[in-house]
Amino acid sequence: MAPLTLYTVSNDLVSSLLTALGNAIPNPVGAWLKSPDLITGLSVLVFAAILLAASMLNTILLIWWERKLLGRFMDRRGAMHVGYAGLLQNFADGLKLFRKNTFQPREADSLGFYTGPAAYMVTSLILFGILPISSGWNSGALPLTLLLALAIFSFAPLFIFISAWSSNNKYSLMGGMRSAAQMIAYEVPILLAVVAVVIVAGSFDLTTIVYEQQNYWFWGPLVVALIVFVAGMLAEMERIPFDLPEAEAELVEGWNTEYGGMLFAFFMLADYLRALVGSILVVLLFLGGWTLPTWVPAAATSFPLAGIFWFMLKTYLVFGLFVWVRAALPRVRTDQLLRIGWNRMIPLSLLSIFLAALLVTVKCLPFLGCVPSPGS
Amino acid sequence: MSEVEAKPKANENPILFVARPMATAARQFARSLVRPSTIVYPFERLEDPKFRGQVAVAPGKPIGLGEVWDNYRGVHALNIETCISCNLCAFSCPDLCIDMVTVPGGDPKHPKKCPQIDYGKCSYCGFCSDACPEGCLTMTTRYELSVTKRADMVYSPQRLNEVFRTRLPMSPIRLARPANEDSILLDPPLCIGCNACSRDCPTECITMLDIPKPEAKPGEKFPKRIWKEPVINDSDCVRCGTCISVCPKECLFWGTRK
Repeated sequence: MAPLTLYTVSNDLVSSLLTALGNAIPNPVGAWLKSPDLITGLSVLVFAAILLAASMLNTILLIWWERKLLGRFMDRRGAMHVGYAGLLQNFADGLKLFRKNTFQPREADSLGFYTGPAAYMVTSLILFGILPISSGWNSGALPLTLLLALAIFSFAPLFIFISAWSSNNKYSLMGGMRSAAQMIAYEVPILLAVVAVVIVAGSFDLTTIVYEQQNYWFWGPLVVALIVFVAGMLAEMERIPFDLPEAEAELVEGWNTEYGGMLFAFFMLADYLRALVGSILVVLLFLGGWTLPTWVPAAATSFPLAGIFWFMLKTYLVFGLFVWVRAALPRVRTDQLLRIGWNRMIPLSLLSIFLAALLVTVKCLPFLGCVPSPGS
Repeated sequence: MSEVEAKPKANENPILFVARPMATAARQFARSLVRPSTIVYPFERLEDPKFRGQVAVAPGKPIGLGEVWDNYRGVHALNIETCISCNLCAFSCPDLCIDMVTVPGGDPKHPKKCPQIDYGKCSYCGFCSDACPEGCLTMTTRYELSVTKRADMVYSPQRLNEVFRTRLPMSPIRLARPANEDSILLDPPLCIGCNACSRDCPTECITMLDIPKPEAKPGEKFPKRIWKEPVINDSDCVRCGTCISVCPKECLFWGTRK
């Protein structure tokens, strides 16, 4: 029996539905309904719809989670009136934004102004689509998932810069330029930190990387890489303390100053979607993905959807770390940001590569166990 | 100058620079998980017993529930039964926010009037309750006055009486009324004995006494009048001045009784 994946589930669903419908309806419509091409096409659509719903739901829940956590950090309570403990508050906010009028400045460039947010949103959605949430989540066994994810992740400054430039607003332009400079500066340490993980795991496939962590999660031996990766992710997600591109005190709202209504909601959602993807990447690369350590009793991993449950729990806790950083640290200056990026993060990531190479050479560590040999 | 080395400050240590605020935030988070300091106001309020002793307000003598200060001046409470319609509250109001309006209970000729307060104008100075001779207009500690219509800011005497009936903690602060040594005196030749002052006196301290009609000398003509004169009981008089304002001949005036 083939392993149960999200795609096979949706395929089974669609094929059983269409077969029942095709048997009830006489030919030739019935035969057309039962044709494998239609079933494949529709099940891909259902698969995509499930992914879209999951990503949007998680994004909005993530905003709720941040608001609640940040409230406690600031001695408040966060959203609490709409829905249980304010769970539906962000849905209400989204509906409000959906109803609002979107307008563009008179001198703005329509093409860039409207394609920027859409492309930003779409690339973020693709990111969520290719990441494995649990063993049965992602059907596409891409050998280079990690590389693809990081490549798509680095599209963002392009679209941010396009939308900022076409807004025809000096604050937007400054925010966009800062965003591009910052993202490009922090791409390098992130990629180098990922190289350390890849050296130890011996694969670019995220599923393989997760299963390579069965003896010990990578955050222990590769803690330097983890620090560099988290700091770089903070900069990539433009969160405090690296939120220079939308520094409210200097640049109104940064590169999305001129955006309102649903276009602003696109940016907001895509931002949080990228935060979600960043947290997911941290969990996948350093925290063992959907697996649990072997000393955990089997009952904890045997209930249905256990993988997704543990994965999302880890993801939300990692995002809680980002919120903690946001609550504690002040925003850095541009020169400090770039100095941290080029002078501190890159040497640290090179050090982490060295440590990873050492780990692969030594193979076994006391208290931690052995690295599985690559390719086995 | 290079031999003078700058002493590295603690906050220049990058690890401490990050770790210390993180620790502070974590401590705050842990404390706030139990109960945030923010009070969810419309659903919880400072006067709730569960906040007693927890609220960081300046020390004051609590009256009734909670921690509202004892000298707080909020919405007025009016006891309609003891109000004598003396008009002193409206007279003393610096914002002119008090109107005397008719309330049921008086006789038709002499209607009972009680204060109606417009809180859109009121400055909560408390002069009215200081001026009130009977202590029937007092200020409570109620501070919630938000309304959606401007007309709702005008509290009729009945509404003020409802505030009185809720038995909110009354503000005990009452300035001593300034000792008014003046009395209301009469200029006898002008009086026509019309009884207006006695009729309108809220404390009924004016009695009309008969005076002898003098013998008319030949050629002298007396004005047409009732041969009575008001006598004012100073110990009962609240010095409201109603008699002066109703006197048609302006024969009553403030003065010091010899």
